[in-house]
Amino acid sequence: MEYAIKTFSLTKIFSDWWGRNRVIAVDDLSLNVRPNEVFGFLGPNGSGKTTTLKMLLGLLHPTKGKAVVLDGDAADPEINRRIGFLPEESYLYKYLTARETLDFYGQLFKLPSKVRKMRIEALLEMVGLKAVANRTIGTFSKGMARRIGLAQALINDPELLILDEPTTGLDPIGTRQIKDLIIELAKRGKTILLCSHLLADVEDVCDKIAILYGGKIQAEGDVQSLLRHCDKTEIVTDTISPDALEKIKRTLAEENAKYTIDAPLDKLETFFINVVAKAQQQAVATSGAESKTHISDFLSAKTDDMTTRETILNRLVSDPETNEILTSNIQTSQPQKNHAAPDESLLKHLTEQSDVKTAAVKPDDAKPAPVEKSQPGKNILDELTGNPTTDKASNSGDSSNA
Amino acid sequence: MRSIWAVAVNTVKQALRLKIAAVFIVLLILLLPVMGFKMTGDGTLKGRMQAFISYSLSLTGLLLALLTIFTAAYTLTKDIKDKQIYTVITKPIRRFQYILGKLFGVILLDAGLLSLFAIIIYSITSLMPVFMHADAEQIAQLHNEFFTARASVKPQQPDISQELDEAYNKLKKQGEVPAGVDENPAARHNYRKELARRIGLRRRAAVVGEELVMEFKDVKVKEPNQALFIRYKYDVAVNPADLSIYSRWVAGDVRQFNLAAPLDTPLYSTDRKDLIRTFREFAIPADSVARDGYFALAFQNVPLNNTVVMFPLEDGIELLYKADTFTLNFIRVVFIIFVRLVFLAALAIFAGSFLSFPVAILLCLAVFTMANMSGYIGESYNVVGGQPNSLYSYILKPFIMLLPAFDQLTAAEYLVPGRLLSWPVFAWHGFAVLFLKSLPLAIMSLLVFSFREIAKVIV
Repeated sequence: MEYAIKTFSLTKIFSDWWGRNRVIAVDDLSLNVRPNEVFGFLGPNGSGKTTTLKMLLGLLHPTKGKAVVLDGDAADPEINRRIGFLPEESYLYKYLTARETLDFYGQLFKLPSKVRKMRIEALLEMVGLKAVANRTIGTFSKGMARRIGLAQALINDPELLILDEPTTGLDPIGTRQIKDLIIELAKRGKTILLCSHLLADVEDVCDKIAILYGGKIQAEGDVQSLLRHCDKTEIVTDTISPDALEKIKRTLAEENAKYTIDAPLDKLETFFINVVAKAQQQAVATSGAESKTHISDFLSAKTDDMTTRETILNRLVSDPETNEILTSNIQTSQPQKNHAAPDESLLKHLTEQSDVKTAAVKPDDAKPAPVEKSQPGKNILDELTGNPTTDKASNSGDSSNA
Repeated sequence: MRSIWAVAVNTVKQALRLKIAAVFIVLLILLLPVMGFKMTGDGTLKGRMQAFISYSLSLTGLLLALLTIFTAAYTLTKDIKDKQIYTVITKPIRRFQYILGKLFGVILLDAGLLSLFAIIIYSITSLMPVFMHADAEQIAQLHNEFFTARASVKPQQPDISQELDEAYNKLKKQGEVPAGVDENPAARHNYRKELARRIGLRRRAAVVGEELVMEFKDVKVKEPNQALFIRYKYDVAVNPADLSIYSRWVAGDVRQFNLAAPLDTPLYSTDRKDLIRTFREFAIPADSVARDGYFALAFQNVPLNNTVVMFPLEDGIELLYKADTFTLNFIRVVFIIFVRLVFLAALAIFAGSFLSFPVAILLCLAVFTMANMSGYIGESYNVVGGQPNSLYSYILKPFIMLLPAFDQLTAAEYLVPGRLLSWPVFAWHGFAVLFLKSLPLAIMSLLVFSFREIAKVIV
């Protein structure tokens, strides 16, 4: 399968009662999402993001063009058996409890009772709603409803996850958890189409983005290459002595480089999470969702052998009777099970911030660009002073308070 | 099938937890016992029970019909309006399975509630004689006339075709046939039909002192020692002062009068005084029926009456005899209510598949009202129009034929007089409503819903 999602000149024109064309919601859209890619679909309100998703899922008929999802039509039950969808709001039945909600969606996937129960408990644990599993959705806050919405999208261990504004209504902890979850799911081989207008979310988790405006793609490409400033250099270090700092300034002055030296600020998100984590350690009671960071084990893991992974997924879907056995197989073959870190490790990770510029970036992308230029065994400052290959410079002033 | 079942169960939960059904359930649970102990009917215990079973089943049928319409239309339109359908239809469930799930959910709810209320009504009915301290005579009467299912035989209709032709030709010669009627086949048919009705009525009328003989054939009495029941209603030319008619009846094989031989089957005679325009009954031993199933009733209009007495053609007189049990008859009547609820569920799901909730409800209520008045609408066109017009013939009549006739086969028609709802009638009605009226609606819903866009374009 070359593409998980591929559209051919997808067009949706909204007509009025008399059949006259009124609004072009999506215009000749050609979208390619590869398997195992986290694809960000960006755009301001009304740009046609959700309309595109609805056409992908068969909720709307294209006026023109075609959408191919997982090599088929998303309206085909055999295809949407492999898809998880979280709509822009958690459109769930308010009279059902969280557990009943997941059970209902599990039944639609024809999951055997034992497998369903196992997955429901795992997902409730994962999204932090186990304590309120028997409360009706109608009594949930927006964030809690969002969490159970996400859980329903994962009940079938989908190959392709389509998330429409997944962090809407979530508190910073929830937002962070969703982002971590997306990253973890991507590591496990899932393809994720993330539709959002919250740019920070997309930036943190996506490999590739497309920006939509007026129903057309205005820009598309790899996030790193689109956002990287090739004419700037950023260095983040542990606290250094005033002498070393002066040395750096002199070096930069010699290079005529504009520079700013400052102590990095915590992101408010990180600070907030720290405060709440401390409260959790003190066992302060809450009626809301609990913070969880681990991913449910039944969500199949990525292996080096993609064929094996697809076979397991296919068997998982097509042979529900053997699901339990297969799931245990998947668990034993997970190469990255240690990523399911408990709260304590999150806390440690967050409090030891000084060597990480941005907390929520993908682990693979956490290294700032200049670091890539360092040589083994060499001090970074030595390298800077002894190998002045970096930026165009003009001193813009010293605002250091370090 | 599991997907259909999941949607069906979810629909039942929706109806119960959103308290749509609760209003109807509470109302019925409160009203049924009150009706059982407060209704008086004609003052007798039998009348009281007849009134209770008639009104309680009618009320249950009506409230469940409204509940069915509201629930079925609501469950589908609400899913679409509040967009829960986005998370359902994007799962491995086909649209027809979703629609069938909704339909089965409503049917499941109806089956449960109807069973519950039928059990309550049956229990109250069965216990009423105990609570009312009925004496042996009352219990015997209830056993014979209420807790029973009696087959009905109507008198033989004499051949009046020759008399009809003669009467029509005579009127034509006298110039009394209205202008244009003879030339127009449809108008002539209607005119002759009315003339036939008058002749028939004349054959069911007895002038003062006259004896009217009504013959019945194919009376299949299972046990000769059981009773036959003559159920009748008088109409009169001039109302008597006490609104009552005095009569003498002779029942049995009256053909034996013409034979100079001893009586093979007994003849019974009785003198009566009954209110006019009110259904009355009296019992005759079943051994009066001849071996070939022949039975006759001779009614004598005694001179004391001083008015012509008539038996209306539709329901003026009939012979009833026990053919089945009350319980089975009750179950059949309840099942007839159930198949009507199935039709309403299919109708409301169909309406909800392409209309908004208020419009779907309006459509369903309009159809429900017409189905309840189908006989009346047809009659009113015949009476008011005189001649069938194209609006009625080509639009209204076919439309009414598409609807089930809810005004036929009612609880009052069968359980109140203890009349048998026979298996063939029951099976045909069930088949017609389920397969000829409800199934096409369900298929149309599946087609409409399968091809419509679920989401709206929001830009």
